[in-house]
Amino acid sequence: MTRTDNPLARFLIYIALALFTVYNILPFAWTIMSSIKLPKDANARIPRFSFTPTGDNYAELWLNMRPEDFAPYGLALVVFIFLLVVIGFSANRIPAPNSLVYMGCILAGALVAVALPNIVNTAEFYDYLINSVIVTIGTLCVSLTIGALAGYGLARYRHAVSVYILVIALAFRSLPSLALVLPFYYLGQLSGLYDTHILLIFCLVAVNQPFTIWMLRSFFMEIPVEIEEAAMIDGAGRLRSFVSVIVPIMWPGIITTGLFTLLLAYNDFLLARILTQINWTLPVGIAQWTGGEDPGHVTLAAAASVSTTLPILVVIIFFQKYLIRGLASGAVKG
Amino acid sequence: MTRGAFTFFVGPSVFIMLALMTLPLLASIVLGMHYITFRNLDAPQWIGFQNYADVLGDPEFWDSLEFTLLFIAATVPLRIALGLMFALLLDQIRRFRGLFVAAALVPFVMTPVVGTLIFRDMFDRGGPYWYWMQQLFDYRLFMNSTTVPLLIIFHSLWTATPFAMIVLFAGLQTLPQESLEAARVDGASWARQLWHIAIPHLRSLFIFIALISIMDAYRVFDSVFVLTRQNPIFDAETIMYYNFQVAMNFGRLGKANAMSVLTVIGIFVVLIPFLAMTYREQLEDA
Repeated sequence: MTRTDNPLARFLIYIALALFTVYNILPFAWTIMSSIKLPKDANARIPRFSFTPTGDNYAELWLNMRPEDFAPYGLALVVFIFLLVVIGFSANRIPAPNSLVYMGCILAGALVAVALPNIVNTAEFYDYLINSVIVTIGTLCVSLTIGALAGYGLARYRHAVSVYILVIALAFRSLPSLALVLPFYYLGQLSGLYDTHILLIFCLVAVNQPFTIWMLRSFFMEIPVEIEEAAMIDGAGRLRSFVSVIVPIMWPGIITTGLFTLLLAYNDFLLARILTQINWTLPVGIAQWTGGEDPGHVTLAAAASVSTTLPILVVIIFFQKYLIRGLASGAVKG
Repeated sequence: MTRGAFTFFVGPSVFIMLALMTLPLLASIVLGMHYITFRNLDAPQWIGFQNYADVLGDPEFWDSLEFTLLFIAATVPLRIALGLMFALLLDQIRRFRGLFVAAALVPFVMTPVVGTLIFRDMFDRGGPYWYWMQQLFDYRLFMNSTTVPLLIIFHSLWTATPFAMIVLFAGLQTLPQESLEAARVDGASWARQLWHIAIPHLRSLFIFIALISIMDAYRVFDSVFVLTRQNPIFDAETIMYYNFQVAMNFGRLGKANAMSVLTVIGIFVVLIPFLAMTYREQLEDA
């Protein structure tokens, strides 16, 4: 739409957006501040804006050893991550296929992440992080694969059956989470999969599937049928034409849906709490510091929250352009 | 698409949903017809629709339903209006867009377990909002039956407005450029472009946001749990919160399950117009 040229109006627009941004990020900024405070500063009767910052909370959260002893390993870790990022970004100049370079980087990173507890003495929080990463990636892969297939099928098969499936999915989604507690607990006990990643992944997939297929269906409705009909005349089957023609077009939509799935899985508390005993994920791990009145828990919970949120923020900043494009191309149809 | 291909494509997803979600849904229906407490978990007693009669005859249920509907009526339109406003402002500028978008997603990304707690602490004694209100306006913020419901609404706006804003902003990027060009040539003002082109074009997006918002607002629980500190004097019980109390504090598991079933039915009643629309869309232009 027409942009205003009035300098005063433009100035006011920036002010309004800046205020909105401040309101949005203030609680997170406050959390970051709390995370580098000593408990006595965080629990003051009058909020303290100037204090001596401390890294104690993060050290207690992540390490079972003295921070001084960890320093050389930490330095090595930072250098290693920096190297991976540099290699990843200069993949084009390396005389090997790009996908091979990326795979190598991811594999090297994963190996070091798994081996780290054997080298330095990490605290339980590190295990929660590893569990969270496994569960989130697992949920993302399963959910998007079967969700994309189903969303495409629902968008193309115009019969009453499709509507029934969509309505039943909606009934599942509107079920209060309290109603899931007992059945899922029994399911875990009966199947013998209680406290495993695999059960948690499949339960998260099932709970999020209604949202996923509704959203992906609206993306696929946007694509004209002619495109894959052309591919099918060339002799490609349904599945081939879906994988090689439709998925590349729909990539932004899949990334957008993937981001919401990722957030739902990564931040889920209730299911992880019901289905795990020691293999906790990050939100369950954090919850142990949010209940009681122990003054030291406030700063620990803050440090844990910052540690949990920052990686996802980095992912979002990285995918932010795709996110907007994806929402623009698909969700318009609702 | 043939029936066989459809089964192949939809099969895995439907199988996982049915395998894992039918049990909770059926369990709610069956348990809702039994008298169960934590003491007779092994031997539930069949009482038919007595639980439903109990729920519908319970004044506290109607109180919590009233507060929930008020909550929906207060937050859903505000979310959409504020989201649209900031989406339009964001559409006006070019610089720092990515920054504003990323910042707007922070409340959405922040771990909910802690986010709600921090939000409360900021308004509580010793929190920055509490302090600033006292310093700037000489206003002492108390937690009472007016401020706590207001904070619950504020919290919901804090977490959900950015989502509406980003979806609508994305929608604004897809406006038909030819119509806008024609409007500009005709000298149509910004307000007329908004009213005659942008809003009709974004219609389905508004419905999408309203649908998601209504569903989530109907089932709001976490923020009520944290912000009221489970204290009944604030008079801010939502249906989900009352459902939790019936199950955990009163131990009436059967009645709680009956309430879950009623919640699903309640949400469906609210969503009927949208479902009818989907039905038409699905069977039309194949």
